[in-house]
Amino acid sequence: MTPDGRTPVVVVTGFLGSGKTTLLNRLVAAVPHSLVVVNEFGEVPVDHLLVEGSTERTVALPNGCLCCHLRGDLEETLIGAAMRRRRGDIAGFDRVIVETSGLADPGPIAQTLYADPALARDFKLGPIVTVVDAADPGSRKLSSEIARAQIVAADLVVLSKVDRAADTSSAEAEVRELNAGVNCLRAQFGDVDPETLLQFTPGKHEGPISSPVHNSAIRSFALRFDQPTRRELLQRFLSTLVDLRGADLLRVKGFVPVEDGLVAVQGVRHVFDRLRPVASGEPALVFITNGVEKREVQALWVAMKGLS
Amino acid sequence: MFLNMKLLAQHTLNGFGGMGEGMSMQLARDGRRVLWLAHESAPKNFTAVDVSDPRAPKVIVQTDLPHAQMRSNSLEVAGDLMAVAYQVTKFGLKPAGFELFDISTPEKPRSIATFDASGPHSRGCHQLWFVDGKTVHMACAEPELKPRNPKDDQVYRIVDVANPSKPVAVGRWHLPGTMDGDEAPPPRRLPAKFDAGFRAHNTNVYPERPDRCYLAYIDGGVMVLDISDRARPKLLSHWTNSPPYNGFNHTVLPLFGRGLLVVSDECVQDNGADWPKLVWILDGRDETNLVSVSTLPAPPVDAFKTKGGRFGAHNLHENPPVPGAWRSEDIVLGTFFNAGVRAYDVSDPYAPREIAYYVPPSPEKSKTGQIQLNDVFVDDRGIVFTVDRGGGGLYVLEMNV
Repeated sequence: MTPDGRTPVVVVTGFLGSGKTTLLNRLVAAVPHSLVVVNEFGEVPVDHLLVEGSTERTVALPNGCLCCHLRGDLEETLIGAAMRRRRGDIAGFDRVIVETSGLADPGPIAQTLYADPALARDFKLGPIVTVVDAADPGSRKLSSEIARAQIVAADLVVLSKVDRAADTSSAEAEVRELNAGVNCLRAQFGDVDPETLLQFTPGKHEGPISSPVHNSAIRSFALRFDQPTRRELLQRFLSTLVDLRGADLLRVKGFVPVEDGLVAVQGVRHVFDRLRPVASGEPALVFITNGVEKREVQALWVAMKGLS
Repeated sequence: MFLNMKLLAQHTLNGFGGMGEGMSMQLARDGRRVLWLAHESAPKNFTAVDVSDPRAPKVIVQTDLPHAQMRSNSLEVAGDLMAVAYQVTKFGLKPAGFELFDISTPEKPRSIATFDASGPHSRGCHQLWFVDGKTVHMACAEPELKPRNPKDDQVYRIVDVANPSKPVAVGRWHLPGTMDGDEAPPPRRLPAKFDAGFRAHNTNVYPERPDRCYLAYIDGGVMVLDISDRARPKLLSHWTNSPPYNGFNHTVLPLFGRGLLVVSDECVQDNGADWPKLVWILDGRDETNLVSVSTLPAPPVDAFKTKGGRFGAHNLHENPPVPGAWRSEDIVLGTFFNAGVRAYDVSDPYAPREIAYYVPPSPEKSKTGQIQLNDVFVDDRGIVFTVDRGGGGLYVLEMNV
């Protein structure tokens, strides 16, 4: 197994007011040696913690974490942080936590990490954590497309403010409708186990994958792989899918057995990470699509497999 | 500074934390893991540290040298036997050679025998390799030989210690041209500021190829020797990077399953005066034609070169074929003085990648004002042990890759 020394980038997203800053503050307080990338320092109460001598765009927190203001591209911020870490200009960090703005689709962050070779040399995508307000589902209707994209992209959903919600079932149903197999944690005041959240492996899922019948065009389903397949065939299958319906592949993730082991598959729309060997994982690919049906994807796979 | 390495513990070894390049683990009969460490210079000889709990290392014995004009620098453990190298500062001094200890009771190392290599042209032994309990392979002067240049005194020697109380020299090899009486002309020396000598340094022999010695010869490059006849080692191949590089080849680590050799230089001058000192990957599939294919990516040179103290390659974790040691053909770890300890993924030998590092803060007693990590040993739990050449002593690290 090729060792992977890259630093995971955990993405914390969620709609405006969902509680992601509360969650982020809890993570930063609980887990040392994180590089936190925020849109504005003001969103995370670190201003009073500035350490003299820190570099222009990075501040050190007392527990060994660093906080970085995302002024420019994420790519530039992360590459700069890796360079300064290697030079000893800033302390080391074990992970990056990126807090997106409330109106951001996290998909492009994943695409950036998959597609940029300079970035992918030092960083890998960790779990995408989407905070969903269980107490006020109506808030997401203000910009339903973004809110949906955030849930669709999630590896892990944190249902926040569960103490204030009379009934969390509608929020849960909303999540399951868009991302049927996603792992859900329930939280009040950002109170989740930081290790569980930060160590979560992207691609893992829980429960049934198939989405319930609903009116939206969002579909989620899984293809299972009982036998090892040729890596090249898998690559061609994914490429063909991207060529035909890349715009509608909202999230593809999972593990596939190939000739020499297991590989992780990660993709968002047209952009996929390269196939990377992993030690373990359930041999299945989870698809969350916009109108692409399971039978269509399965038929393509069966046809390509049969012809190869 | 760190990447994928976490400090579990540091021990300054009772205030004698200037360590050499001897690190070897004993799995004691009572179940303890004892790490034996050679000191870089007098007054201490060696220190044993119980590292069973890597978060709480404990010194269990620390010994003195007989006088200050010598150093131990190197040691190796095989079962309950330990061989300790003795090198003196001036020709003719004693003890020069090595000493064998019974360490079955780690708290009470008992001397079994000494191997005397002293002589008018000898500084004794700088480094030794002892993994099978029967044979010491070492970089040590041979009193019968007179080097043409005093810097060239230490040759490759093989000593049979199957009877530990009576070590017997059985073979030797030196670079032709370096000794009086050689037919070959003297080798072309490096410029005076880099001339460190044509002599042996690391002398590795592995059970996968007991008939081969992987020999680093300082300014003379590296060699693969056929030692199937121990009395008459034969040169099979020779690779050198100097000139144009600045000499001091230190270690040859074979990765047998990969057909690769990993060769480290040693930086021996402060503030980058002898930079570049690198770790080289050689294609050794044909052992008679070694080909350099890459070097491990160096730490940012401008950030470290003139920071103080030495900066550049030195020791590698040598995959010692002994119980308790970690062995890998994909990950290479090395020490780089002020740039700390670093781990590299060499699964693609043409494009090695840095995957972990740890650079401790400067220890209080550092003469250079900088950390100077000197050697590294990884145990089969994946715990990384590294030592400082200054006063920092032992650092215990967890690597997560």
